Amino acid sequence: MNDMTPEVMNTKGISIKEIAVTFNQGSPSEVEALRPVNLEFEPGEFIALVGPSGCGKSTLLNVLAGFTTPTSGTAYVGNEPIIKPDIDHGMVFQDYALFPWLNIIDNVAFGLEQLGVKKSERYEIARENLKMVGLEDFAEKRINELSGGMKQRAAIARVFATNPSVILMDEPFGALDALTRRFLQHQLLEIWQKNKKTVVFVTHSVQEAIYLASRVIVMTARPGRIKLDKNIDLPYPREFTSDEFRDYEKLVYDQLDEELAKTFKLEGGGGFHE
Amino acid sequence: MNNQVNTASTVLPYIYAGIFIVLVWQSVVSFTNAHVTLLPPPLLTAQTFFKLIVSGELFVHISASLGRVISAWLLSSLVAIPLGLAMGRWKRFEQFLDPVVELFRPISPLAWIPLAILWFGIGETGKIFIIFIATFFPILLNTISGVKSVDPVLVRAGQVLGCNNDWALFTKVILPAAMPTIIVGLRISFGTGWAAIIAAELVAAQVGLGYLISDGMEILRSDLVLVGMVTIGILGVMIDAVFQFLNNKFA
Ligand SMILES: Nc1ncnc2c1ncn2[C@@H]1O[C@H](COP(=O)(O)OP(=O)(O)OP(=O)(O)O)[C@@H](O)[C@H]1O
Ligand SMILES: [Mg+2]
Repeated sequence: MNDMTPEVMNTKGISIKEIAVTFNQGSPSEVEALRPVNLEFEPGEFIALVGPSGCGKSTLLNVLAGFTTPTSGTAYVGNEPIIKPDIDHGMVFQDYALFPWLNIIDNVAFGLEQLGVKKSERYEIARENLKMVGLEDFAEKRINELSGGMKQRAAIARVFATNPSVILMDEPFGALDALTRRFLQHQLLEIWQKNKKTVVFVTHSVQEAIYLASRVIVMTARPGRIKLDKNIDLPYPREFTSDEFRDYEKLVYDQLDEELAKTFKLEGGGGFHE
Repeated sequence: MNNQVNTASTVLPYIYAGIFIVLVWQSVVSFTNAHVTLLPPPLLTAQTFFKLIVSGELFVHISASLGRVISAWLLSSLVAIPLGLAMGRWKRFEQFLDPVVELFRPISPLAWIPLAILWFGIGETGKIFIIFIATFFPILLNTISGVKSVDPVLVRAGQVLGCNNDWALFTKVILPAAMPTIIVGLRISFGTGWAAIIAAELVAAQVGLGYLISDGMEILRSDLVLVGMVTIGILGVMIDAVFQFLNNKFA
């Protein structure tokens, strides 16, 4: 199912069919997180998911990862319905989720070990992936010896090491400072342009979304639905300052502002535009 | 260099503490003019201490006590760790067993002495049983909390990295993540087990530090009692230092 040779491209599309999620259904604390959502992601697309806080972005990503069972609907990777977590749907977490009892290379090789790849081969693959993110000299280091940016690079190496067909990222750079963040965005783009995996990337930053993604999806305030689905037809590398970039930014911000205004009203706050 | 500084900075406070205790001890003896059977002076106690070392008798007591604590502690780990892992992992199981644990926990190891004698007689088994009781709960409770406090994000990371059954997830993620807390439990319980040695050896012991103390009391040799107490204190600190060392080395 999962080809380990890095030369072989492994990428699949994602189909989201009528996915709805309601937490604690039937209880007083019931929360409708997602209203039936339909989306088709082509193999190799870089999807950025933006939306107001609490609108259900993580929920959707967790459905795709197989962590959350949707209340209704089905999501597919390729033709396979997603029913549980699978090494073929890799994930990068905001707080890295590296295993502190393993050193860097053993973290990167962890998934390969579960797949039964033999030791010499998995270290070879792990080393290649560490090199890809520029951490080859840190292979034997312990997790707590790395900075936040290096930890996230190690986590990116770890997810690419098992060559999954889709990669899910939930605000992976959210905890990093602006400079580190720029560097990692750049690095992630380079990697993605090489292997064209399908990436679903949740972010709060409109700029980050337009800088990285081939397609940006704006979600409505909770319950999450699709507000805007826009291809970003700009060549890479993109310039934050170009007019086209600014136009896309404005478009996305306008859509987001409408939703934010709703959120504030819902929460009983004052008017959004004072 | 750095290591020497470290050793000095951990050992020195104990040396100061020792000097302080001896000073207070000696002044109490001088001011109250206490009879030797009530409170022997530090010097006499030190002489007895060295006599017992030279004759090798002290080491016989130490190894007997240490042997009992180690066997009870190992036995306790063998039961408490798997039980704690299961309780931490399965909510139902924990909900069922937790009240049982909470009911037994406040019962001091001392309270088990009569039953220990009735059940196991006055041999080694009864003594080990008492220390087993003393070491059991710290290991159990730390194991449970270690498993329950594993970061759920690490569990998810394990799941998307191919741990696709409970066993793989348990051995590859949950157990190693809980390990530091389990080790803390092992360390604490060795301490409580060591402290329970007196209770255990109160029961017809022929050898051991607890025996040294209770025998000293019967023959009105308070210096022997104090030697036993001092030895237990010093060894307690040393054993804890060994655990600290192992912990620093592997965590
Ligand atoms: N396990 C859960 N149980 C109950 N409610 C939940 C659960 N997970 C999420 N929710 C609720 O569902 C809604 C959507 O949450 P979600 O985490 O998907 O939002 P988000 O868009 O990722 O927000 P943010 O941008 O702040 O990360 C929120 O109102 C949240 O409180
Ligand atoms: Mg979120």
